[in-house]
Amino acid sequence: MTFPKLVRRERASLSVMIAAPFVALAIAALSNLVLYAAIGVNPLAVFKAMLIDPFTSYFSFSEILLKAGPLLLIAQGLAIGFRAKVFNIGAEGQFVLGAICASAIPVYMPQATGAWIWPTMLVFGMLGGLAWASITAFWRVRLNANEILVSLMLSFLALQLLNYLLLGPWKDPMGFNFPQSVMFQYDALLPILLPGTRVNISLILALLVTLAAWFFVQRSFAGYRLEVGGLAPNAARYAGFSQSGAIWLSLLIGGAAAGLAGAAEVAGPVGQLQRSISTGYGFAAIIVAYLGGLHPIGILFSSFLMAALYIGGDNAMVSAKLPIAAVNVFQGSLLLAYLIAATFVRRKLVWPQGARA
Amino acid sequence: MTNTLNRRNFIAGASLATLITAVGARAQAATPEDPLLVTLVIPSPVADVGWGHALFEALETVKADYGEAMQITVVENIYEGPDADRIMNKAVAEGTKFLVAGSFGYQNGAMQIARRNPDVTVLHASGFMVAPNFSPFAAQYSQGTYLMGMAAAALSKTGKLGSVSAFAIPELITSLNAFVLGAQRINPDIELSVVWLNSWFDPAKAQESTEALAAQDCDVIFSNAQDTPSVVSKAEEIGIYSFNLNSSMKAYAPKTYLGCVLTDWSPFFRASIEAHLAGNFKGANAFLGVGDDVVKVVDWSPDIPADVVAQIKEVEAAIADGSFSPFTGPIMKADGSEGVAAGVTMTNEEVIGMDWHVKGVTTPLPG
Repeated sequence: MTFPKLVRRERASLSVMIAAPFVALAIAALSNLVLYAAIGVNPLAVFKAMLIDPFTSYFSFSEILLKAGPLLLIAQGLAIGFRAKVFNIGAEGQFVLGAICASAIPVYMPQATGAWIWPTMLVFGMLGGLAWASITAFWRVRLNANEILVSLMLSFLALQLLNYLLLGPWKDPMGFNFPQSVMFQYDALLPILLPGTRVNISLILALLVTLAAWFFVQRSFAGYRLEVGGLAPNAARYAGFSQSGAIWLSLLIGGAAAGLAGAAEVAGPVGQLQRSISTGYGFAAIIVAYLGGLHPIGILFSSFLMAALYIGGDNAMVSAKLPIAAVNVFQGSLLLAYLIAATFVRRKLVWPQGARA
Repeated sequence: MTNTLNRRNFIAGASLATLITAVGARAQAATPEDPLLVTLVIPSPVADVGWGHALFEALETVKADYGEAMQITVVENIYEGPDADRIMNKAVAEGTKFLVAGSFGYQNGAMQIARRNPDVTVLHASGFMVAPNFSPFAAQYSQGTYLMGMAAAALSKTGKLGSVSAFAIPELITSLNAFVLGAQRINPDIELSVVWLNSWFDPAKAQESTEALAAQDCDVIFSNAQDTPSVVSKAEEIGIYSFNLNSSMKAYAPKTYLGCVLTDWSPFFRASIEAHLAGNFKGANAFLGVGDDVVKVVDWSPDIPADVVAQIKEVEAAIADGSFSPFTGPIMKADGSEGVAAGVTMTNEEVIGMDWHVKGVTTPLPG
């Protein structure tokens, strides 16, 4: 029995590259038709709600931008580490720590006013995420502890820390013992960017971070050292690039970006510290980073795509009465189809000689 | 389906290129003949049992009276936060006039919707905010768990009870306290250990926690606000008694099921929907119990001794007619201080904000 082999194409054609996402969309849509027929939901209503409605009104489009912001921030930070083969899986925990540290200001100074508050909160958030990631970096460098495991486990610790604060010292004294902090005062909330929506200034920050990431990856010597360390560790060592330096830098950048995203979330649409500040942004951002090919510009698009998928999925439940499980199936099959299509843009199937006789 | 697709819409929906057409084909303005659109938002899946299921069933029961004049949309598994706010806004933008926000974490977002849309009626689970078109609602589970405590004490050989509980919010703390107080009525020395999962729905952790409690000699387990039958089925496997809230899970534990503190929201939903349609809905704190036919204890285990069953029935009748409350002093706090003085009964407001455990609960509250 012989199997065909995947062989890298010498050149990927531009038209195939452009067609790939649409082919993936068509395949995912077709394969889900059967499912909708089986559960008695009108498939056109589903596709309209999922793929078209998010783009047809100012408000729902602004919600995509709102959702894309944290994904973009976290994914840019993670991708830098992933390129250097430092796998920070704990962005969720760094996000939570960012949210906690940022919340310290309005929690301890609920009456404070002034334009300094929200920028300081963002800085606190960044430092919080950075500090949380530094624990992973320290043990990786010191004891060679696997950074995937350490950072992932630290995410669960972060959640317990959040629970502790919300059930104990940071609980809203007027909140009937519900695990949430006070609502933040006006000056502790990020300025709104697009009037009438919830899109705030953090979107600009995310775009600036994207620009910075592009510059870092494409133009800076530090970025080059990281990249070499990831592609050819031995060559990097021979060239005298410090491996532990690469680990520290990767994790600190990822942690700071995730912490900033966490701060922007509590100071943005949430407006208080509560249990469910993250809807899994830290984990979704890993998918976003890889979907975007670990490239700053690619991530810009993939974060936008993921956000649209999330909003579309919610829409499908509200407008097309699709159960959550079917929404997840559609999103999953779309991502799967896209990854397969993307693979075939760069590679082709080659049958072994004689096998097809 | 809220917007029926016409042919033009159909084509617009099919081709990605004609986005603009779809904008024009949005929902038309509501006319009096339009059905009442009801939306239920819940943090866990609807599933076959549990909290979300009980809310959904009740809405379905009310819908049976209205037929085509009422339509229900369920949005499940929604995180409490910005996502929920967006989804509730979206539902209202698409014509929802009656919104059931099925978790306390939706409070701020749901309240904003109520303020911005005076024509929308909002029912919000387990909260404390009230507005003219916004009612918080909660079940007095404590009335049912008190009765369960009596049964549990009669069947426990070790004198140790256990509970797998979701979040340490007053509603759940109150249920646990009443459970212990009921048990102490039969056996004054009985104790309760609690595992806080910090989740409404986590089958794996619920199972592990049940095993851990059984390993500590707990032989009756209270599945407190878990939207999964994992605790109940695990208890059956181990061979210890268990009970739960909201909807019956007897099918998952045919042998060791102690009973169910059922919530039937349909009387409350029916009254609220009638008031909404008549235009005289008035937001108020709805704290509903056995006397309102919202809390019912069903599927009692046949193993409970007859004399205890008789006592339970007596107390149940006294709770239903309002002559008895589980929270009547003297009640000691878990830290040894006095909680409620002898002869004093806690008010509903005090019960709703209860943030301390009674004596007999051995696990300290988190935080």
